[in-house]
Amino acid sequence: MKHNGPGKPVVIHDPTLRDGQHAVRHQLGLTALSRYARAADAARVPVVEVGHGNGLGASSLQVGQAAVSDDEMLSTVREALGHSRMGVFMLPGWGTCDDLRRAIAHGVDVFRIGVHATEASLAERHLGFLRDAGAEAHCLLMMSHMASPGELAEQAARAVGYGAQGVGIMDSAGHFLPADVTARIGAIVEAVGTVPVAFHGHDNLGMAVANSVAAADAGALIIDGCARGFGAGAGNTQLEVLVPVLERSGYATGIDLYALLDAAELAERELMPAPPVTASMSIVSGLAGVFSGFKHRVVELSAAAGVDPRDVFFELGRRQAIAGQEDLIVDVVAELGSRRPTADDGS
Amino acid sequence: MSPAAGLRSARPEVAEPVTVAVIGTGAIGRDLVSKIDRSPALDCRLVAGRNPESAGLRYAESLGLATTAGGIEAVLSAPRPFDVVFDATSAASHRDHWPLLEPLGTLVIDLTPSKVGQMVAPTVTGVSPATGRNVNLISCGGQASVPVVHALAAHFPVTYFEVVSTVASDVAGRATRLNLDEYVATTGNAVTAFSGVTDVKAILNISPAVPPATFRTAIHARTAGADPVAVRAVVDRAAEQVRSFAPGYEVIACTAVDDLVTITLQVTAHSDVLPPYAGNLDIINSAAVMVAEQYATRPDRACRTGVTS
Repeated sequence: MKHNGPGKPVVIHDPTLRDGQHAVRHQLGLTALSRYARAADAARVPVVEVGHGNGLGASSLQVGQAAVSDDEMLSTVREALGHSRMGVFMLPGWGTCDDLRRAIAHGVDVFRIGVHATEASLAERHLGFLRDAGAEAHCLLMMSHMASPGELAEQAARAVGYGAQGVGIMDSAGHFLPADVTARIGAIVEAVGTVPVAFHGHDNLGMAVANSVAAADAGALIIDGCARGFGAGAGNTQLEVLVPVLERSGYATGIDLYALLDAAELAERELMPAPPVTASMSIVSGLAGVFSGFKHRVVELSAAAGVDPRDVFFELGRRQAIAGQEDLIVDVVAELGSRRPTADDGS
Repeated sequence: MSPAAGLRSARPEVAEPVTVAVIGTGAIGRDLVSKIDRSPALDCRLVAGRNPESAGLRYAESLGLATTAGGIEAVLSAPRPFDVVFDATSAASHRDHWPLLEPLGTLVIDLTPSKVGQMVAPTVTGVSPATGRNVNLISCGGQASVPVVHALAAHFPVTYFEVVSTVASDVAGRATRLNLDEYVATTGNAVTAFSGVTDVKAILNISPAVPPATFRTAIHARTAGADPVAVRAVVDRAAEQVRSFAPGYEVIACTAVDDLVTITLQVTAHSDVLPPYAGNLDIINSAAVMVAEQYATRPDRACRTGVTS
């Protein structure tokens, strides 16, 4: 692909093999992991992230048990990567320093510690541990639409103080419009100076690529994208669209377009039953500001109880449910079910 | 007699209050001080923190209690050792404190997830430690889940337990945030110890939701062919016992589908100083205070008090 001038470098971070797991209930097998990792590596994707959808140590009944263990995933993908660096994700309270220690032994290059947008202090221990271990650690603020630009900037600065070598925000609910991203990334860049800032988009409202360009324009140096947008609900920023759009916008990704398109086709064939679509439920969760990963559980439990899943999403939004609080879905469904008029009411 | 049956008997038999010190003035320490202050069996002689400006120390002063910003050193340098020292600091600090307190013959009640002392969950273990002078209260999720996992494992062939707790962000202080790993390890360890099930997982969510999320613990159990009615009966019985000391302990949901049992417990706080959603602090502190009250009735303790006073 040809473009004018050297372009401003951005680092593409590809969590297809981690965040995509949400779309297949964490059931990616080792062959699929290995084949996609090789394809991404061939396209010179800078970072390939792998794991259970909720990160190291998260395989559980609460959010879904993975088909294969963290150890198996990491050793398989490590073997498949020659050029790309290997990334992992971890949520404090779910994974622990023991998981980080094992991941270091597997040769992980980039660690991301995820915390809710207002809770950077939950990452203090693990960022410190990784810094002391000499590993590259970033802190990602999730559900970032729930915090103001100023609050996010403060939290990001705090994470840098704990040892984060990169900080970023996730639009976990796919709620942002580009101006929201510009304001937030701008505030964070101003607060953390030369520390690289990351943006991770979700496509519930069809804005993920536009939001990612807005992030880069506001100074983000790391942009996330997944092959075919593989991810929960409407999916993540579609990687093979993101990369050429960034290139046309004057950024340099270092990625080989044809090989990237091949990787995306392989992903569509081998990782997913079908690419994500912006279905009604994804639009509703995006509008409600609820984590897309709740979708399966909401739809399932609502159907069983005969309540409208759209009502469930808006109610979860009202309660400000965050990832990990999947048990709240049961309550909300039960409550809405009990409020539902029955035929006997004559209403 | 079930351990719970004897739980209420501590207070009336007390002849002379035991002397108590509290180390740690965060959210746990503050509620603990209020509960100790209400107890006729316990005489709080010192509240020790590190930060002279802390709200916890000011609160203790407002109750007319002696306070110090001198931390553990101030507790150690008291002219007479305290009968009971509550440690509401952090797991790492407790590991430093215990060797200093051990030679004094003090009963140390540890509210951190340090795994140092003998684990107590009142309705399962009773509150009178058989051996040792270091009692560990496990964790808030441990206090909420152990009674139920213990009861379930006694009645059903459980092969896997998972315990997921949610705590409101504004009652999770710095020590809690730094001790997430210890929380996970200690809670999982307690679930195994009191259920006999080795395949366990503990998870902690800190929720910043507004209004704040009430403390809750979801328990997932894999067990073949459990009858939902039988499960509910076992869980309700366990919950009833816990309510003898933590009245806000409730079973919110209880389902058994295929081989999966899911129980959701919620604990609201009944406290002078805590908001209702801070059931995590209420349940662990109520259990800790009961241990001290029970100790106040022990003859060996009475003997010792006779010598020192």
